[in-house]
Amino acid sequence: MTRLPLLAICVIAMILTAGPRAVAAPPALMVYAASSLTTALDELAPRFAAQTGVRVKTSYAASSTLARQIESGAQADVFVSADDAWMDYLDVRSRIVAATRVNILGNTLVLIVPADHPVTVVLKLGFDLAGLLGPGRLATGDPAHVPVGRYARQALTALGVWDVAQPKLAPAESARAALALVERGEVPAAIVYETDALLSHRVRVAGVFPAGSHDPIVYVAAVVAGRDRPIARQFIEFLTTPAARTVFTRLHFIVR
Amino acid sequence: MPTAVEYEALWLSLKVATAATFFSLPLAMLAAWLLARTRFWGRSALDAVVHAPLVLPPVVVGYLLLIGLGTRGPIGAWLDQTLGIRLIFTTSGAVVAAAVMSFPLMVRAIRLSLEAVDSGLEWAARTLGASRLDAFVSVTLPLMLPGIVSGCIVAFASSLGEFGATITFAANIEGETRTLPLAIYTAIQTPDGDRVALRLVMLSLALAVGALALAEVADRRVRRILGRP
Repeated sequence: MTRLPLLAICVIAMILTAGPRAVAAPPALMVYAASSLTTALDELAPRFAAQTGVRVKTSYAASSTLARQIESGAQADVFVSADDAWMDYLDVRSRIVAATRVNILGNTLVLIVPADHPVTVVLKLGFDLAGLLGPGRLATGDPAHVPVGRYARQALTALGVWDVAQPKLAPAESARAALALVERGEVPAAIVYETDALLSHRVRVAGVFPAGSHDPIVYVAAVVAGRDRPIARQFIEFLTTPAARTVFTRLHFIVR
Repeated sequence: MPTAVEYEALWLSLKVATAATFFSLPLAMLAAWLLARTRFWGRSALDAVVHAPLVLPPVVVGYLLLIGLGTRGPIGAWLDQTLGIRLIFTTSGAVVAAAVMSFPLMVRAIRLSLEAVDSGLEWAARTLGASRLDAFVSVTLPLMLPGIVSGCIVAFASSLGEFGATITFAANIEGETRTLPLAIYTAIQTPDGDRVALRLVMLSLALAVGALALAEVADRRVRRILGRP
């Protein structure tokens, strides 16, 4: 028994020392991006790192969460928001370098249902949302702050069914969280981005919202104030190179 | 002044914490009794299961609840189809999340007080002709009352603050599962939500102070009943 603590100490020491060694490398580039960009940036970040030798660290969440973190001084170099509103929010607080702000992508707003539910909905004025939901709820980002939820509220208001939707809403933390609720079958429908919907085999697109029913979905990138390094600007430029565009197009983003 | 929606979050928090404590108590007493007074096969497994929510990150507990009690989970599907009970997106779900998270704290407090009761006293009562149940109710139960009270207070307090498992399992729905911590979280995310967040923080503080004062009163009562200073 007396050997046990000694053994435990040895194991802990081994774990602590076995980690990757710190190598003298340029400081990593910290990219904060909207959750709907997860798949695209997970693919692009290593490519950028291979080209430049600078490691890219990513943090994905709702644009609102990230904007709040950056406002409070989070160590982000680049911010990519899923709407103008949250970039404006940081802009008026001088938390981004306004000159670096650029629209890089667009997206499409869709209504999704579980893959085993063969239904198609024409999203026109006064469509039968109540009939589609039944006793279930409609998942989307929290309209109070999550961009996809804001777009969803605009679209449903324009189509005259917001009053039906509001009491049945399941507000999620991000676009990806809303998608997960349909994947698990907890809600009969959700409003998400087309790019997210097409990634999942467990959901299918039941209808596409007319582009005019909501503000254009734009992804805006900018360098965070006080973190204006050439490598940060280079990363934003990289997102608009043909190589990056190929990836975005394959994932069904609207490339501008 | 806080708005109606903010008071609703406060009221919901109290409701969830009260229900979680109320429904946990009988189960926690059973678990405490099993762990303190009996020896059976699988006892350490029970101990581990009871303590798991204390050790696991709340988001893991929320996720486990989601896959077990979700509408497609094995238990959740049964509840939905046979009893028509849905836990996700409902206040009942928030109660389950809070109860599971605070359960180990309650069991620990009750178990400690039960272990402190001299089982010789129970035997003395039995030799005087009391049945097993009678001995428990009239001898053991009063003696472990301080533990039960403190277990309830700790469980109630931790239920008021429960966040991770609730938001993962029961989601964040206004009037249903958006308790004070979730309302504060939502306000923090919202543009210019700082004022709302601060008001909710004030409500939380008032609630914490009020609950502590009540706990103190309850504690004194129990001491007086038991004739201890």
